[in-house]
Amino acid sequence: MAEDRRKTSTRLTGLQVIIAGLFAVLAVSFWVLQVVQHQQYNEMAENNHQRTIALRAPRGLIFDRDGRVMVENRNSYSISIVREHTKDLPRTIRLLAQVLGVDESGVRTIVDRHRREPTYRPITIIQDASLAQVAAVVARRLDSELPDVVVEQVPTRRYPDTMGAHLFGYVGEVSDAQIASDASLKSGDLTGQNGVEKVYNSYLVGDDGAKRVVVNSVGREIRTLEEVQPTEGKRLQLTIDLDVQKAIEDAFKAADEGGIASAGAAVVLDPRTGEVLGFTSRPSFDPNTFAAGIDRATYASLNTDEDKPMVDRAIQGRYSPGSTFKMAVALAGLEEGIITPDFKVYCPGHANFYGREFHCWSDRKGGHGSIDLRRAIAESCDVYFYTVANMVGIDKINKWATALGLGVMSGIDLPNEVQGLVPSTQWKLEKQHEKWYAGETISVGIGQGQVSVTPVSMAVYMATLANGGTRVTPHLLKQVDDGHGWKPVPAPAPKSEVEIDPEKLEAIRDGMWRVVNTGGWATGQTARIDGHAVVGKTGSSQIISAQGRAKAANKTARNLRDNGWFVFFAPKDDPKIAGVVFLEHGIHGGNAARVTHHILQTFFAKQDGKPLPPPPTSESMHWDFQDADR
Amino acid sequence: MFERRLYYHIDWALVAAMFSLCALGVTMIYSTTSDPTRAASHLWLTQLYAIAIGVVAMLVTLSIDYRTFTDKSHWIYLALIAVLLYVLFFGTVQMGARRWIPLKVFNLQPSEFAKVGVALVLAKFYGENRGMPQWTDLAIGGVLTLVPLALIYKEPDLGTAVVLLPVFVAIAYLAGMRLRVLGVAVLAIALAAPVAWTFVLRPYQKQRITSFIDPSQDAKGAGYQQIQARITVGSGGLTGKGFRKGTQGQLRFLPVAHNDFIFSVLAEEQGFAGVLVALGLYLFVILRALEAARLAKDRLGSYLVLGVLASFTFQVIYNITMSAGLAPVKGLTLPLMSYGGSSMIATLAGFGLVLNVRMRRFTN
Repeated sequence: MAEDRRKTSTRLTGLQVIIAGLFAVLAVSFWVLQVVQHQQYNEMAENNHQRTIALRAPRGLIFDRDGRVMVENRNSYSISIVREHTKDLPRTIRLLAQVLGVDESGVRTIVDRHRREPTYRPITIIQDASLAQVAAVVARRLDSELPDVVVEQVPTRRYPDTMGAHLFGYVGEVSDAQIASDASLKSGDLTGQNGVEKVYNSYLVGDDGAKRVVVNSVGREIRTLEEVQPTEGKRLQLTIDLDVQKAIEDAFKAADEGGIASAGAAVVLDPRTGEVLGFTSRPSFDPNTFAAGIDRATYASLNTDEDKPMVDRAIQGRYSPGSTFKMAVALAGLEEGIITPDFKVYCPGHANFYGREFHCWSDRKGGHGSIDLRRAIAESCDVYFYTVANMVGIDKINKWATALGLGVMSGIDLPNEVQGLVPSTQWKLEKQHEKWYAGETISVGIGQGQVSVTPVSMAVYMATLANGGTRVTPHLLKQVDDGHGWKPVPAPAPKSEVEIDPEKLEAIRDGMWRVVNTGGWATGQTARIDGHAVVGKTGSSQIISAQGRAKAANKTARNLRDNGWFVFFAPKDDPKIAGVVFLEHGIHGGNAARVTHHILQTFFAKQDGKPLPPPPTSESMHWDFQDADR
Repeated sequence: MFERRLYYHIDWALVAAMFSLCALGVTMIYSTTSDPTRAASHLWLTQLYAIAIGVVAMLVTLSIDYRTFTDKSHWIYLALIAVLLYVLFFGTVQMGARRWIPLKVFNLQPSEFAKVGVALVLAKFYGENRGMPQWTDLAIGGVLTLVPLALIYKEPDLGTAVVLLPVFVAIAYLAGMRLRVLGVAVLAIALAAPVAWTFVLRPYQKQRITSFIDPSQDAKGAGYQQIQARITVGSGGLTGKGFRKGTQGQLRFLPVAHNDFIFSVLAEEQGFAGVLVALGLYLFVILRALEAARLAKDRLGSYLVLGVLASFTFQVIYNITMSAGLAPVKGLTLPLMSYGGSSMIATLAGFGLVLNVRMRRFTN
């Protein structure tokens, strides 16, 4: 019994030792976990229950020169997947597609595109979701069915529909190339993709804020730990005058409705500074569709549309200037001392140069007869300018056209401007490795042949004639408000300045005055404004020769119509406005002058403190469908 | 029945340590289940009621001489088998297992009482035999253990079933079973493991074991609990995040925090300091109870104490290891601390027997 007892006691001691040993092991294990590896597990615990939610900063508002809002922000909702805590991604995709009523494979494609990104970064599935979609998702979230789906409130741009679409541009998700070139951008960011939005993106973009929240195991937010409010982007005041801009858009709309032209461009400047008062390109598009995340089909259709609505014709379209080029030829002749304003040419309606017959538009009316510079501009005599161009020569025409802003970049603060062309002997040698033939100069004299211009360069051309030789740089930005009040942005320096003899300039202005303000064969009377000395010049440029017209009979008549130009400034002696209206297939310059009339009428009514004219109707414009050849 | 002088022999230190652990448990249950964002939960109150009933049960097992219990142990054992059979056929199903008998106030889980029942019957069986147990004795003891074990395993409740094994092994060991036999048994279990893997374990049980070996393989499934347990404990640090300030338990990253993972919550909110206190209390309870086994008047008493203590110790060590994410997740509660009425009542009743043996060490 005693031995038995001793044995029992020994075995109990054994158990005590083993158990105490096990407890010691446990204590050491907890010490390792809780003290040695504490840091690591603490981080994991924080990752578990804390989320950082980006608070998108609204972009800066855009105002017109009078402080009226043109581009603003609205709140939209985007629906995203955050994969960090996703247990079953295919299930989430399937369920989300079903809840949103969208195609499952489309959602999968979006997710696949962002698969390599960090899992905590939300993948936006729907931008600008409808309220029904938001409600459906939120309900599922509360049921913990879709804990990995988030609904974010995102400030989104609101543009004035199609008005000034090319001017404002649009915002969109950054492309891979943009991320590569700009370190401050990350996938999913919105950035200006065109127009002012792109050029002044660094001003407009705000500083995103962030919110750290505590979430529970199903992802529901429990409380906010800290919040850094987003900072709105800087506000921009543009040089644009909303009234002028509207007038342009209204008049173009009337031209479209009247069947005159669905395409074209207009640029209106203050000739003293180069401030852009109005700017349009037609046909337009609605930048709001980009702001809310454009779908591929819409984007593709915009880009493949035959009318090319995405092309900014004002800075990217190159066209023959036609008769509007004649002032440049005249100035070259005058300034080079080759002609005087009183220099006369006899116009029988046609003339022969280098063995080839050149026609004046007045041929069927028997010609202009003996004609001087002023009348030649007023009645757009071709023979007069054939003759002068032939006398001046291509290189001097090039020199003076360049000084007026033609054939060169205007330097406007918009992306992707293209350069027009005013040929020269050097140009031909370099580009075509051929000598310039004197005979080629003749058609350049009336703005045909190799000459091509962009509408914006035509506006600079007018501003330079209006201000007496300063080639101002057209620009859009007037002031910036960085949150501490408006700060004016200095106007960019003029591109060049030339001395123009005021008397000679006056002769050209006289001719342009007669275009608008006299009857008879003058071509721009439709732009006339009582009480304000508007000066201008019409132009029509042939798309296709008369012979070609017959051959291309299968083409629609509209595509074969001439382009119509009207260039202008006013008032004649103290110009405050200068610009160009271009109507693609607008038949002739007279129609462009009609569009200009509404713009100038608005401008002067505002200046004089009178009520602004109502938007024109197609009927009130009295379009001229006569296929005139001037 | 209860002689007044016995009162002086009650091991008050053991009682104090036990109820300290109960209090710690209630505090942690309160911390994890009373979520201010939801309707107030009264689980901590339910636990207090369970402790109250447990105290009554303890008074009963304490007051009646333990030899009376062992004398009647075969009846208790048969009644236990009957109840387990009843549960198997008529019990209520919760979370895929048929474990409970619904009573008016709470659900009774008879398997929790099987530990005490088996301890009683084995103590009696080996206490009556003298000298080293023979093969036949081991076989009979084995069968006595395996019958309720099989019934509980059938529910299914592998965790509670397995807890019966230490009861048998501990009593046999103390009764003088050759250590060589124990070695053979361990070897046999090792050899049986592949067979058990193929034929006995359910898919979810297999998954728990595979995910233990590599939790990250299945980070969102069975391995999830294990990783979360480790994060919970590790993030507690030296002094803890503070009462009700834990994030893992409070925000429900850790499942059944008030139950199987109550010790993880303690580790998170009270830190390593709290862990040491709790570990110390448990070690004290176990070593103190082992003293009772040593002091027991007869072998019967020693075996009974050790039988009760074996399942308790096994559960404590396993659950705490699991709470730190260092063992496969199994539905084993932490006696005295975890939420659960049946477990609390059965454990306190069991310790009533331990106190009983110590208290009556001088009586005849």
